[in-house]
Amino acid sequence: MTKLVAYKRNWPASPALNSNKIDFMTDSQALTVHFPAILASSVHDMKNSLSNLRALISQLESQYPESKPPEFKQLEFESNRLNNSLMQLLTLYKIDASQFNLNVDESCVRDILDEIVAQQSSLLALSEIELIAECDDDLFCFCDSTLVSNAISTLVNNAQRYCHSKILLSARQEGEYVVFYIEDDGAGYPQNFLADSQKTFGIDVVTGNTGLGLFFVATIAKMHHQGGSHGYIKTDNASSLGGARFSLYLP
Amino acid sequence: MKLNLNSQHILVAEDQAVMRETLKHILYEMNAQRIVEAESGVNAIAAMRKTSFDIVLCDYNLGTGKNGQQVLEEAKHLKLLPFNAIFILVTSEQNPGMVLSAVDNKPDDYLIKPFNGQQLLNRLERCFMRKQALADIEIELDQGNLYQAIGNCEKLLAQNDKKMRMQLLKIRAELALKISDLKTAKAIYLDVLLERDLPWARLGLAVIAFMQADYEQAIEGLQDIILQFPMQLEAYDWLAKAHEATGNIQAALTALNQAIELSPQTILRQQQIALLADKAEQVDIANKAYRAAIKLGKHSVHKSSRDFSGLAKNLLKNNPNSNLLNLVSDLLEQFPNDPEARLRAATLESEIYGALGKNVLAQESYEKTVKLNEQFGQEAPRELRLEIAQACFKKGDAEVFDHIMQDLIKTNIDDKKFLETITQVCTTVMGENYAESLIHRVKQELVDINNNGVSLFKEGKIKEALGILEQAVGNLPNNQTIVLNITKIMLHDLKTSGSTMAKVQKAQAYINKAVQLGITHDKIGGLQTELARLASTKLK
Repeated sequence: MTKLVAYKRNWPASPALNSNKIDFMTDSQALTVHFPAILASSVHDMKNSLSNLRALISQLESQYPESKPPEFKQLEFESNRLNNSLMQLLTLYKIDASQFNLNVDESCVRDILDEIVAQQSSLLALSEIELIAECDDDLFCFCDSTLVSNAISTLVNNAQRYCHSKILLSARQEGEYVVFYIEDDGAGYPQNFLADSQKTFGIDVVTGNTGLGLFFVATIAKMHHQGGSHGYIKTDNASSLGGARFSLYLP
Repeated sequence: MKLNLNSQHILVAEDQAVMRETLKHILYEMNAQRIVEAESGVNAIAAMRKTSFDIVLCDYNLGTGKNGQQVLEEAKHLKLLPFNAIFILVTSEQNPGMVLSAVDNKPDDYLIKPFNGQQLLNRLERCFMRKQALADIEIELDQGNLYQAIGNCEKLLAQNDKKMRMQLLKIRAELALKISDLKTAKAIYLDVLLERDLPWARLGLAVIAFMQADYEQAIEGLQDIILQFPMQLEAYDWLAKAHEATGNIQAALTALNQAIELSPQTILRQQQIALLADKAEQVDIANKAYRAAIKLGKHSVHKSSRDFSGLAKNLLKNNPNSNLLNLVSDLLEQFPNDPEARLRAATLESEIYGALGKNVLAQESYEKTVKLNEQFGQEAPRELRLEIAQACFKKGDAEVFDHIMQDLIKTNIDDKKFLETITQVCTTVMGENYAESLIHRVKQELVDINNNGVSLFKEGKIKEALGILEQAVGNLPNNQTIVLNITKIMLHDLKTSGSTMAKVQKAQAYINKAVQLGITHDKIGGLQTELARLASTKLK
């Protein structure tokens, strides 16, 4: 006889997620399995497997010195997306299980943008899309730079799907915030993705294609705080290139 | 100077052939010429013994043997990495600095899989720039010259490079803590916190409270940090220390267990738990931790023969049986040609045979212990020497007991806590006055030598004064007063009879030793300033 108890819940979650259990009852014994923990370790395993897959792809790719088949672009793109999603799920799990905190330090914003461009470099090399990065060399920001560059990178990755030919990545100081912008020249965000303050942005967006990416960056933005203010995101269609504009505000 | 991979010796340690090939491919594309591969931790260490690498790219996961962190620890321990080498730990862990961190052995950077060539190059360049910027500090630290390192850190801070500022402040504060200059460290941490609530600055303040024996404030601060930054694992270690200092062993164990749950691979914490639990006579917890430490120790430079003897002794008390001899042979197998391990094994063997009633064998092992003790005793850790002394006393060997105790008192004469332990041990076997009179005698000897040296100095017999005191250092190596007086006399000598390079270096070595012995900045700082002045004005 097997009794399954599954819990459905929404983010952001209370810190009690890891106490939700699925009890597998058998005739002789009862096994207690922590479902979120299994989920997390499986995601970790998938990430490892994906990483081998990517290594294989890049080896295959190196066997085509001149004209690489266009499928490589798609392979790289999809595996990037997959990896980012897995990473974000894992991080969200850890935040929920109190196994996570930001690793904040003063970072040079130029370095963060360089890292994002680097992450996208192999992909961009295979496409016609232009990624422009702009910021002052002496702009500094207190943040978890690894996490922030990963989160923004995911969104740049998404922007590649929806833009026409150009993505502008920029950052500047605005009052007490450092703001990162991702702008593109595509058709803009659909109505249900538009949010102009941290209050209205949240759960209801977690439905569409990029829901996870936006939710993730909103979550980590909120974790950055200084004094009474904390970070937030904005989505609008006020891009200087005519398409969607995403803004990340970090205090 | 820009990084050019062309001339760099690069080690790629990665167990999976596919990943290894990919990494090599990326590196060759970036112009690298000299790449060595290793598919396991053991081979990585072997390669580092052969070649002095500029760059090591090491995967965390290296199959069944050592992991990447253990490779790093071993390489540092064996001094296989030059101070300017770049060690990058490759991992698929999202926040590796927190999960994999070991307090003193952090890699220069982590690289999170997957990454492409451009990301690798960026990372290498950033590490290279940082290493170059900090080279003046590192080179002095490598030599044990803390004050010179501080001087160079100050110079770099004065250059006002915003990119380096926070890192330099952190280093400057840590160096201040190392010379017990709590005032400077505190000022830096408070300044940083005014700007931003950073966990390392808060941790620094808690450590200062601990060093000032304000345990209540330390505990409060640390609990605060943990609440807000649950992955700040060092906070758990300090919290355990603070609880232990107040005598709350249970709370100390809880703190360490929390840290282990978050980062299970750390052998040092398991060892800490074992010792604490032993102290509190929580045998089950201690044994579990000893077992974990033994298991983790298989591939770690932190493995300790003490874990084996701790476990064996607990098991022996509970249920003496001949299976315990297997533990002894495991111990010898894990530590071939290690004098400490042989001493422990012989001591244990004697106890086990004794408990099993095999008196002839017990006596044989005991004699082996005494012989090994004559050979290597002085190098053994003091807790083991205390144990050997007790075993000797039980056998009626009062002379050996006496000899070990005297030596332990001499080498630990400034350590009040340990002297208390010695007094306790002696009181149970020899009666109350034994230890006290021994300690008194050593202290008297110290006072005599010191007075003798000081009066020779006052008579102007500098050479003789130094002769007497330096001889005493051989006999009482860890005494602060003697080391401090030697340093003072040397400085006087430099002032009056001129500097030579050799004299300056010798004085510096004594200052470094003084810092090592825990002499605080307020006592030694002035001497260092004077030495620096003498060295720069007279040595031209």
